[in-house]
Amino acid sequence: MSVLTAIFIGVLMGIVFGFVLEKSRVFEPGMIVGQMQMRNFIMLKVFLTAVVTGLIIIGIMHGFFGGKLYPKSLLYGANIFGGLILGAGITLAGACPGTVFAQIGAGYKDSWLILIGGLAGALTFSYLEPTLKPILLSGGPGKLTLDTLLGVPFWMLAFGFAIALIALLFAMEKWRPWRNDMGQNCDGVK
Amino acid sequence: MKLSDKSWSPYVAGVLIGLLQIPAFLLINTALGASSSYVTVSGTIASFFDPGIAQIDYVAKHLSGAKNWWQVATVIGIAIGAYISARLSGTVRGKVSPVWKKALGTSSFSVRLLLAFVSGFLLLLGARLADGCTSGHGISGMAQLAISSFVSVACMFAGGMIVALFLRKF
Repeated sequence: MSVLTAIFIGVLMGIVFGFVLEKSRVFEPGMIVGQMQMRNFIMLKVFLTAVVTGLIIIGIMHGFFGGKLYPKSLLYGANIFGGLILGAGITLAGACPGTVFAQIGAGYKDSWLILIGGLAGALTFSYLEPTLKPILLSGGPGKLTLDTLLGVPFWMLAFGFAIALIALLFAMEKWRPWRNDMGQNCDGVK
Repeated sequence: MKLSDKSWSPYVAGVLIGLLQIPAFLLINTALGASSSYVTVSGTIASFFDPGIAQIDYVAKHLSGAKNWWQVATVIGIAIGAYISARLSGTVRGKVSPVWKKALGTSSFSVRLLLAFVSGFLLLLGARLADGCTSGHGISGMAQLAISSFVSVACMFAGGMIVALFLRKF
């Protein structure tokens, strides 16, 4: 595929992604900080529903049609430290690397600084990567997935996991209806 | 559910986001992600000042190719989509979310800008170290049952919740 075609598809997919992120209000810093303080559950609901949908789609595509998977390598040190640092950033930004762009589109001005800081962070990592490689970014068991670890067919585990998450989401919604978490101005501020 | 609604159910939104895996897998041969686009863009900008950066294998493999620029286009599309949605529903936002005044205990815009820069730096340093963000590890990795993604997402929430203890409740 030509780069130009890929860019065209990317922009179209991004527009749908951004439109939906804005409608779900999950791009609001109030939703993210509220979730991390366990007082607002919009983020977890959007996130887990997207995972469930992905599990079913990928379960069908990979399980029944032999579609390829693109899992990432398991590197405990990098996954643990990277995850912790990323999480700290998510709370302080009130955003994830993708939803920063939804904040910018919706009008928040401080989000431009998150974007610039993000580019600086990515560049810093790029320069550090050759040094970090022997310490944190090599070895490990490779691109391990749970189905191979347990010896269960992918589709079976994916569908089972999806059903468990759907049950969890139903329970969460019964316990805490999503409209209660919106706030008066749809920004998660009560 | 209308295009001009201020909010949609998180379940509808989650399903629509999840469905984007279909074009990602079938057309681009990859899963949804966002954070490697920062390497592509920052590496491209840096290469004007430091051509040597293209010698770093990690950067080199992010600089060219359909997949890398597809992801850059996707994140730019996110801004466009959010803008369209906000215009249709009349929810275009002001300078900064009112949450920060409450969570940080100060209404200083400079303080927020400084924190925004630092938070962005942490976001991408962490995401690149872990090799994925909420999209790549979260939405895509967990849906592929990748162990690396379960570990990363658990730590992501742990890190976020620890830092949230230091913010005020609002």
